Parts: sequence; C-alpha cells; structure tokens
Amino acid sequence: MKRRNETLVGLVLVLGVVTAVFGSLWLQGWEFGRTVETVEAVFSDVGQAAEGNAVKVRGVRIGRIDEVSVHPEGEFVQVVLRVDADVPRPPDAAVVLAPESMFGEWQAEIVSRSLYPHFQFLDPNEPDVLPGYALPDISRLTATADRISENLADLSDRIGIAFSEETAENLARTIQNVEGVSDRLTQLIEQQAATFDVLAARVEEATGEIGRAATASRTTFDHLSDLMATGEVEMLLTDVRDVAEGLQSLTQEATTTTSEFQKMAVRAESTFARVDRILGAAEDGEGTLGRLLNDPTLMNEVEATLVQLQLLLEDVRENPRRYLRLSIF
Amino acid sequence: MTIQLDDLHKSFGQKHVLRGFSLEVRDGETLTVLGPSGSGKSVMLKHIVGLLTPDRGQVLVDGQNVGELEMNDLYDLRRKVGYVFQLAALFDSLSVADNVGLGLHRVGGFREDQIRERVRECLHLVDLEGFEDRFPAELSGGQKKRAGLARAIATKPKYLLYDEPTTGLDPLTKAVIDQLILKMRQELGVTGLVITHDMESAYRVSDRIAMLYEGRRRFLGTPDEIRGTEDPVVRAFIEGDPQYLERRETTVEEAS
Amino acid sequence: MTTRLLAPFTWLGSHGLSMTQGLGNWGSLITDTVRALRHVDVWGRLLLPQLARIGVDSIPIALFIATFTGIVLALQASYTFTGAIPLYFVGVLVGKTMIMELGPVLTGLALAGRIGANVAAEIGSMKVTEQIDALETLAYPPNAYLVVPRVLAGVIMFPAVTILAIGMGITSGWVTSLQLLDMSTPQFVRGLTLFFFPFDVWFAIIKATSFGLVVTLVGCFYGFHTTGGAEGVGRSTTKAVVVSSMLILVLDAFWAVLLL
Ligand SMILES: Nc1ncnc2c1ncn2[C@@H]1O[C@H](COP(=O)(O)OP(=O)(O)OP(=O)(O)O)[C@@H](O)[C@H]1O
Ligand SMILES: [Mg+2]
Repeated sequence: MKRRNETLVGLVLVLGVVTAVFGSLWLQGWEFGRTVETVEAVFSDVGQAAEGNAVKVRGVRIGRIDEVSVHPEGEFVQVVLRVDADVPRPPDAAVVLAPESMFGEWQAEIVSRSLYPHFQFLDPNEPDVLPGYALPDISRLTATADRISENLADLSDRIGIAFSEETAENLARTIQNVEGVSDRLTQLIEQQAATFDVLAARVEEATGEIGRAATASRTTFDHLSDLMATGEVEMLLTDVRDVAEGLQSLTQEATTTTSEFQKMAVRAESTFARVDRILGAAEDGEGTLGRLLNDPTLMNEVEATLVQLQLLLEDVRENPRRYLRLSIF
Repeated sequence: MTIQLDDLHKSFGQKHVLRGFSLEVRDGETLTVLGPSGSGKSVMLKHIVGLLTPDRGQVLVDGQNVGELEMNDLYDLRRKVGYVFQLAALFDSLSVADNVGLGLHRVGGFREDQIRERVRECLHLVDLEGFEDRFPAELSGGQKKRAGLARAIATKPKYLLYDEPTTGLDPLTKAVIDQLILKMRQELGVTGLVITHDMESAYRVSDRIAMLYEGRRRFLGTPDEIRGTEDPVVRAFIEGDPQYLERRETTVEEAS
Repeated sequence: MTTRLLAPFTWLGSHGLSMTQGLGNWGSLITDTVRALRHVDVWGRLLLPQLARIGVDSIPIALFIATFTGIVLALQASYTFTGAIPLYFVGVLVGKTMIMELGPVLTGLALAGRIGANVAAEIGSMKVTEQIDALETLAYPPNAYLVVPRVLAGVIMFPAVTILAIGMGITSGWVTSLQLLDMSTPQFVRGLTLFFFPFDVWFAIIKATSFGLVVTLVGCFYGFHTTGGAEGVGRSTTKAVVVSSMLILVLDAFWAVLLL
C-alpha cells in the first residue's frame, strides 16, 4: 500500500514536471535534438516583432526570436535569433522583419541583402551582427492609402465646378491613361500563376505605361500651376509642402507591399472614374477657375501623389521580384 | 507531584458549569469524582490537560500552572498524563494497534518492534489481544472504551485521568478494568483521577472519593466516610434514591 | 424607540465582532500552522498518504473535466471563428484558455469539491468525536498532525494535477480539431505556439499553488471549527466547499490583476 502510494505520487510529480518543462520548451518552438545557435541583428525599429516569433529562411521555419531589446544608448534595437545551426545562410545575410499574416504575428526572415537594395537596412558596427530592416506596419500603409484617395476624391469634387476646357481635356486624357494602366496592373497581380519571366515582362510593360501617364498628368498640373501662379497662392503652396512631404515618405514605404499597391491601384481607379464623370459635366457646363484657386492645397497634394505613383512604378520595373513575392501573401 | 485544582470557574455562554471547584489529588493515590450527569466532571478533567482553560482559578500539575504554560511545556506535561475519553475518541483512520502506538511514536526513542511489543502488552491488559488490525468502526462500544484505555496507558504516564472507564461494560469486564486501575497504582505508582457513576467501582478502586455538585465540591472523603455521610445530596446519589432530596433538580442547567 | 435607533449600531457591533473573531481564528490557524512546520517528526510520516489522497486520487476527475473542456473549447472556437479568422486560431484559443484560465480554475473548483469537502468532513468529525482533543493529550499539535500534511500536499499536488489536466485538455482539443474540424496537426500546433509565452505556465502554476493552499486551508479551518455532531460536520463541509470555490474565483481575478 505504502510502496504503491510512493510510486504513484512520484509518478504524478515527475509527469507534472516533465509536462510543464518539455511542454513549455516545445510551445516556445524548441527543436529537440538539433544544434542551435544564436544570431544577432540590429534594427532601427522592429515593428510588431516580439520574442517567440518565427525565424525563416526562404520561407522555412528554422528558429525563433529569442530576445528583443533596445540598445542601452537607445540608438537601435538588438534582436537575438535562435536558429538551427545546420541551415546555411547567405553570405550577405540580412534580416527582414515582416508580418507573417494579417493577424498580428510577425516573422524574421534571413535574406540575401543584395536582393533588396531598396530596403533601408540598419548597418551594424560590429562584425557577426546582421543588418536588419522592418517593413512598415500594414496599418500605416492603409492610412496613407486612405489619405491619398480622400485627397483625390476631394479634388475631383472641386474640379467638377471649376475648370477650363483645355485643362479638362488634358486631365481627361491623363485619367484615361491611368485608368488603363491600373486595369492592367490589377490583372497582372491577379495572374500569380504565370511564370516569373512573363510576369516580369508584363510588369515592365505596365509600369512603362503608368510612367507615361504620370508624366502626362504632371504636365497637366504644371499647366494648372501656371494658371494659379499668384503670390498668395505661392505662400499657401509652401505651407502645404510639409504635409505633402510627410505623405510622400509614407507612400514610399507603401511601395514595398504589393497588396497595398494593389489597393491603391483599385482606389485610384475608382476615384479617377469619378473625376472622369465630373469632367464630362464640366466640359458641358460653365465653371470658375477662381473657385479652384482658392484651395490650391489639394492640387498640390494630388501632384505629389502622382509623383509618388511614378516613383512606385519605376520601382516595380526595377524590382519586379519583390512585388511578386509579396503578392503571394 | 500532585494535581491541584484551585477555585475553578468555567462557563459556556450563559451556562456556569464550574463555580469554584477545588480538589487536590495526592501523589500516588486514586481519587474518584462522582457527580450527576451534566455537572461538569468531564469539563473539570479537560482543564487538567489544558484542553480547556479556566475562566478563574488555576490548575497546578507538578506545580506548573497548566493554563499559563508555553505550548512546548504544555506538550511536555501532556506526555506525563494519560487520558481516557468518555467516548474513547479513537482515531477512525488508524487501526487499533496504531491508535495505541501513536503516543509512543510521539515520545520517541522506540524501535518499531518495541512499539509493537508494548502495544500487544497494553491490549493484553485490557483483554483485547488479536484486535491489533481492526479499525475503530469494527469495535463494539465496550471494546472501543478498552482500546482507549490501552492507548492512555501505553506511554506509562505518571498520571491517568479516566473519564468513566467502566460505563457501558459488562460486570466481568468492569472488574477487569477496575483491577487494571488498581494495578496501575500499586505497581507503577500512577496517580489516578477517575470519574464514574458506578459506586461499586468507586469503592473498589478509590483511596478517596469526591463529589461535584452544582459546580462545587460537595463532598470529599474516604469510601468509608462516604458510606457514613449524612448529606442528603450525597446519600441520594450513592443510594440512587431521590427521596433523600427535597428538590429533584440535580443538574447544573436547572440549578442555573 | 431608542433600541430601534440603535439597531444598526448593534448590528454593526455584533457583526464586526464576529468578523474580527473570524479573522482572528484565521490568523491563529495560519500562525499555528506555520509554527507547526517545525514538527517535521510529526507531519513527515503523514505527508505521503496525503500526497496520494489529494494528488493521485484527484487525477481521474481532473483529467475527465479537462478532456471535455478541451473538446468544447475546440468546437466553440471553430464555431466562433468560422470564415473571418483562420482555423489555426483554434489552437491559440485552446492553448491559451486551457493554460491560463480553465485548466487551473476548473481543476481548482473540482478539487475544492473533492478535497475541501473531504478535509473539512474528516477533521470536522474528528473534532466532534473528541479525536482532536485526544491528539492533544498524546502531545501531538493538531496543526502539525492534520493541517500541515494536507496543506503541503495541496500546495505540491495541485500544480502537478493542474499541469496534467492542461496537457490533457490541449490533447483533447487537438484530437477534436483533427477529427471533427478537418484541421491538420501543424495547423493546430501553429496556433498553439503562436502566442505562447513560458510565463503562461508559471501563471498556471502560481494559480494552482494558491488554489491548493486555499482549498486545504479552508477545509481545515471549517473542520476545526465544527460544532454540533453529524449535522455540524455537514454544515462545515458545505461551507468549506462554498468558501473555497469562491476564494478560488477571487484569487483567479487577483492573480490576473496582479500579474497580467
Ligand atoms: N464545549 C462545550 N460547549 C458548551 N457547553 C459545554 C461544552 N462542554 C460541556 N458543556 C456543558 O457543560 C456541562 C457539563 O458537561 P460535562 O461533559 O462536564 O458533564 P459531565 O459531568 O461529564 O456529564 P456526564 O456524566 O453525563 O458525562 C453540560 O451542561 C454541557 O452541556
Ligand atoms: Mg462526562
């Protein structure tokens, strides 16, 4: 009886401890029976990445984030990765932090830095420490896209009641161009099954067109600017420039995520369709340019947006690979 | 080396049970306390081992004031005292042998086989050989009582407090227990305090007899003295005949 | 008239008094028990049977509850998440809830019923049949003989039983996901590991330990304060179960406020 008690009590305690310890280790992503080493990387910002997130190489999970800490001097963030020692890493290895899915978890991917020249990796000042870059948060991108489309919508409202015939024609053409391009872009992104080469060629083609469209629209806006080149307006323009610049940098970040790009394209499309409709009305009827000139801010922002669009398209042409990968999410 | 109760008072709520009870048990004697049911005999006995503390007055055992002892000293004192509970109070979860041996474990310094030998001896004294492995639930009332007695004497205490050790036993077993009480005193020099309702037993085992009545000591004397007393209350009690009393109320409750 | 006016004060006085007295009783139970810890010679031999009784014997009920909790959690999670959220969140929900909340609390409540009642009834009946007085006369401090081994066993075994229950719950949630929800093991495991922190396990252990302490202490408390025969034992048993269940829920919230 007593012997049996001893055995059972011992068994329960041992089982409890074993379950707790090994269960915890396992749930933390501990790989039993593998040699593990730690790799350090530095970031200027880690987004939502946290301890326990997956570390991947070419999409394969090879470990987890062990530690995230701000450098004592506050200059940057140090991240320790605990990874499988057997998996080879590229010679110019760098770490990209990005959302793993839409539900908040992030991942760290060890990549070859040369594949992502546009990412602003933070360079470590010690050897053996990898440079790192965190993709901007999806919510920030969405906010930016929202603002862009709001501005466009706003502008189109105003344009509807104030436009000269010549400008209107220009704009209408531009819009048709942009519309055509975004159509193709949308198609392109949907065709994920196509081979890389075909896809790349199409991206190039499409972006070429977008580029031309953007140039055309710039001319249009230059023309508009001429029309409203008075001293007062100039002052207003400078005031707005700061806002536009902020928008610009955000949009630049937006260019790193295709899904966002796609969203932008779709939004731009519908907005421009609306502008088109309004312009049709404007061409028929009368309007005062003066009303539009009272609020040059919008004008300016739209122009900046178009510049960004152009930049984005250039980037797509240069690095189609980046957009292909991301569209798979 | 005596037990001395001085002017003991104890109430439970409104119920004033002990109202200045005094008694001295001399070294090596066996003193019996009589008294009506509910008069506070068990309460008085519990004061001696510190299970109850007096509201007033004091209890001295070996010159130590029981009510004011430190925990450790109290436990040391309790090791010198064996207590036979009125309803045996055997530990349900332990076999008879473990019940009897429990005190020896606490005293310490015995090997398992020594304890087993002593347990056997004690059970033999109360006529319970062969009951070692039984559990209290498997015993009759009288057997429980005897097992309780065996448990009290197992550690060979200097003092033994018997709370109705023979109530509910058949005449023969009663005689055996009385013999045992006598033997304890004669052979081991144990000082005994016995509570009983049984006059026959009282005469047989006692050096002196006291009576507790309405919270105070009504009588104290030798068996011969009590036989010759004129006190109607005592007479009524020892004769078992209420006609000696004008009033029939005997219990504390009614008196208070 | 005046008595009516004074009634609230009388009420306050008598209740305040009984409450203070209750707190005092608790205080002395706890201090006596802590002091009794040094009587290792007394409780040392008694610990093992209590470990077996409180721990080993509670395993079946704990695992039984955990099994069904795991199944329900998995099904409910998939029902809630349909469409909007990927299925691997079933793993997240089963894991998190089992480890941090339902594992410790349901085990605690089940054991409050089992152990709390058992301890209160046993000590209560010992109390009314003078067995505790008998212990005293044999120079055993009742706290060392009765309370310490039970409380220690509770503190040691509750976490162990809880951990096993958690393991069981997660396993049953996993099996349910495989069999009824068309999920795959990697999917479930992904959810399980997604938001897991080692702290979660500590949290469960801390909770379970405190539940073990409370359930056994409350059982002992009401056991020791039993009066009035078999009926009194019944009353104490009920009180012990009710109070320890309530305290478990209070403690549960307390730890959440303190540690989360
Ligand atoms: N713990 C207690 N709480 C309240 N009242 C008590 C307690 N113990 C004893 N009493 C009361 O004290 C009185 C004396 O009880 P006690 O047990 O000493 O009687 P007794 O003389 O031993 O009677 P009996 O011969 O029937 O055993 C009784 O009225 C009893 O109800
Ligand atoms: Mg009595």
